[in-house]
Order: sequence, then structure tokens, then C-alpha cells
Amino acid sequence: MSAMTPIQEQVHQWLEEERVDIFLAYRIVEGHPLPYAFTREHIEETGELVTGPARYSLEKFATHIASRYPDARIGMVARDCNQRALNVLRVWNQLKEGQVETVSVNCCPSDLRAHADCSYLERRPVGVVKQQLGQVPNQAVADVDAQPSAERFDRWMYEFQKCIKCYGCRNICPVCFCNECSLEHAELIGTGHLPPDIPIFHLVRAVHMAGRCIDCGLCEDACPAEIPLRLLYRKVNAIVKDLFEYETGSGDTLPPFSILGPKPTMSPTPLLAVAQE
Amino acid sequence: MEMKFVPSICSYCGTGCGVLFEVLDGELVGTLPMKTHPVNHGKLCIKGWNLHEHINSPLRLKNPLLKTFGRFTKVDWDKAMDVTADRLKAVIAAHGPDSVGVLVSAKMTNEENYLAQKFARAAIGTNNVDHCARL
Repeated sequence: MSAMTPIQEQVHQWLEEERVDIFLAYRIVEGHPLPYAFTREHIEETGELVTGPARYSLEKFATHIASRYPDARIGMVARDCNQRALNVLRVWNQLKEGQVETVSVNCCPSDLRAHADCSYLERRPVGVVKQQLGQVPNQAVADVDAQPSAERFDRWMYEFQKCIKCYGCRNICPVCFCNECSLEHAELIGTGHLPPDIPIFHLVRAVHMAGRCIDCGLCEDACPAEIPLRLLYRKVNAIVKDLFEYETGSGDTLPPFSILGPKPTMSPTPLLAVAQE
Repeated sequence: MEMKFVPSICSYCGTGCGVLFEVLDGELVGTLPMKTHPVNHGKLCIKGWNLHEHINSPLRLKNPLLKTFGRFTKVDWDKAMDVTADRLKAVIAAHGPDSVGVLVSAKMTNEENYLAQKFARAAIGTNNVDHCARL
């Protein structure tokens, strides 16, 4: 026990005192840092808890537990992005108030933090082709806005046409939880060809990210085509902030665009139904 | 309440992407890319993302079905084996071993695939063997 780190000791104590039923963190499995659920039944495993360097959406796993066990008390290690995601999930009733208790851990590198555990968002070298034709990730939204509009459009279209429609951006997103997804509606986005309908595929998702995206960058991480999605969603969130003063990931209110009722349906409009007959 | 994360390799093609299965109470509920895997670096294609779906699919075959007069009926394994062997023998006798082809699958183990090609070459006598993951 004496060799335990402060975080391991804290998790051990939380499980022992029944403050949480399950604690989500990481453990080295087969040489990989993988998400791991620590429990009271196997409390001795807390000695193997690690906090990084890989980053998975632990809060998404928490919503899966909560949907099956609404009264489960869930603990997890949380970087700043996890905290913002938890806030959005609580605002959208995917998690109950106080259902998730967090242990804060070191975060991504940024202007505020030179050193960080999370290395995924460090600036990586950008190839010549992307510099010439595409949008360089990690640039400021203002720098993109400064591009002439025709060039900006061409650069985004270059990025979008690389899409292989894996839906990885949506699948990995901590704040994507709808049962019915607009990206899978044949009436909205054509099916059966690659690249998908561009730019509509990416812009539909971008619109849905307005006031929802917590800027964690997992989508950009998961994109096999290296489309700078984080940059795109930063732009839509900047618009929401400028126009509505809504700060995504903090506060207790739903974003200004949440006009749908509790059961949104997207059956074909009467016009489409007539056209199909 | 039991949640497990099981590392594995995607079985849809020969690339070998590292995946992580999300298992809740013994039920496979999701697939994720393994972020630290040297092959795919936390990325997957659409097939890999949906690896878990066929496991719990209601359309999954769990029994041998025999088609007689255009309709499928459930039969036991002995009956299925007998019918298949008889029909294969009849086809080979009438049209030769190259009238038979063996299609194997990424959803089987490497060893089962080995046995299947051995069956094609040694038992039937044909080199007509193919695989959906022959990229």
C-alpha cells in the first residue's frame, strides 16, 4: 500500500468507502494504456491505475453505464476536456447531477501549460501538400477567416474530399449521443458513394456541434483522412459565443439551438413523401 | 455492473488495426480504435467501427439451415454434414473437382482458414480458394 501514488490511494479510498461503485481510469494492458473500470470487488487492482498518456472518452463510457444503471455512482479521472464533456452531458440529461465524481489529472499542452501528459494535441509537422492545398490544423480561427473566401472554400473542399465516411468523428465524440443521427439520413445526405456529399456531410455535423462541441480534439485524432475537424468546430463555437454569449462546456443551460422537443423525429416532409409515391 | 475493455485486432481485413471492445455485463456494446496501436494510431474505417454489430445481430445464423424445395428448415449438424458431403461428392463426380470453390472468411480463425484451404486442395482437389480479406 505504501507504494501507491496519491491518485491510486484516493481511488482505493473512494471504492472502499462506497463513495463510487465503479471508477474509470487507465491501466497498462498488454503494453498499452487502456481504459479500465476499477471496482470494489477487485480493489487491489487500484495499485495498477495510471492516468495517461492515452486519452479515451471515459465520460462516454459513463453514459453507457448510466443508461443501464441510472443510480450508479461513477468515478473517473478527468482532464479539462473530460470536465467540459461531463458538463454538456449533464446539461443534456445524459448523466444526473452529481452522478460522476472526478479526480483531476494533467491536461493537454496549450498556451497555459507547457508540459502535459496528453501528447496527442501537440503540434505536429504539416506536409507540403496540406500547406499548399488544405487547412493546417492548430491554426487560429482568425487566420482561417483572413484567407480570401474563394481560397478558404477551396482549402476546405480539399480537406472534405478526403473523407472516407467512417463516421469516426461522430462515433468517438463524447457529446454525440442521439439515437437517430442526421448523418445517416438518406434524405439529408446521399448514400452509396465516396467521398460523401461534400461539403454538406461535414457542415451538417458542424452545425450540430455548435454549442455542443467541447473542443477535445478526439474527432481530429480519430480521422483517418486527417481533416482538421477541431478547427471547423472551433469556428462554429466561436459564432455561438459571439452571437449568444454561450460558453459550451460550462454553466447549466442548454445551447441556444436546442429547439427540439424531447423526441425529435425526422420523418420525410410531406413534399418528399409525395415525390416518392 | 461490470465493464471491461478488451483489446483485439480487427478481423475485417489483413491490415491488422488494433481495436478495443467495450463490454458491459458480458455484452459487447461497442468498438473503439486503440489509440496506442502501432498499425492504426487510433483510427479505423467504417467496418472496424462496427465490428461489434454482427455479434449481437438478430440476423446471425446460429444453426445449420437446409434448403429444400426453396425453403430453409433447421437441421442438426450431422444431417447438415451428411447432405453437404453427398452433394459435394455428386457435383465432383459429375463435373470434376474444379467445379467446386471454397470461400473462407475473416470471421474465422487463421487455423480454421488453413483447414478450409487444406480441405479444398487435399479433400476436394481444387485450388479454387478465396477470402474476403484478400486486399
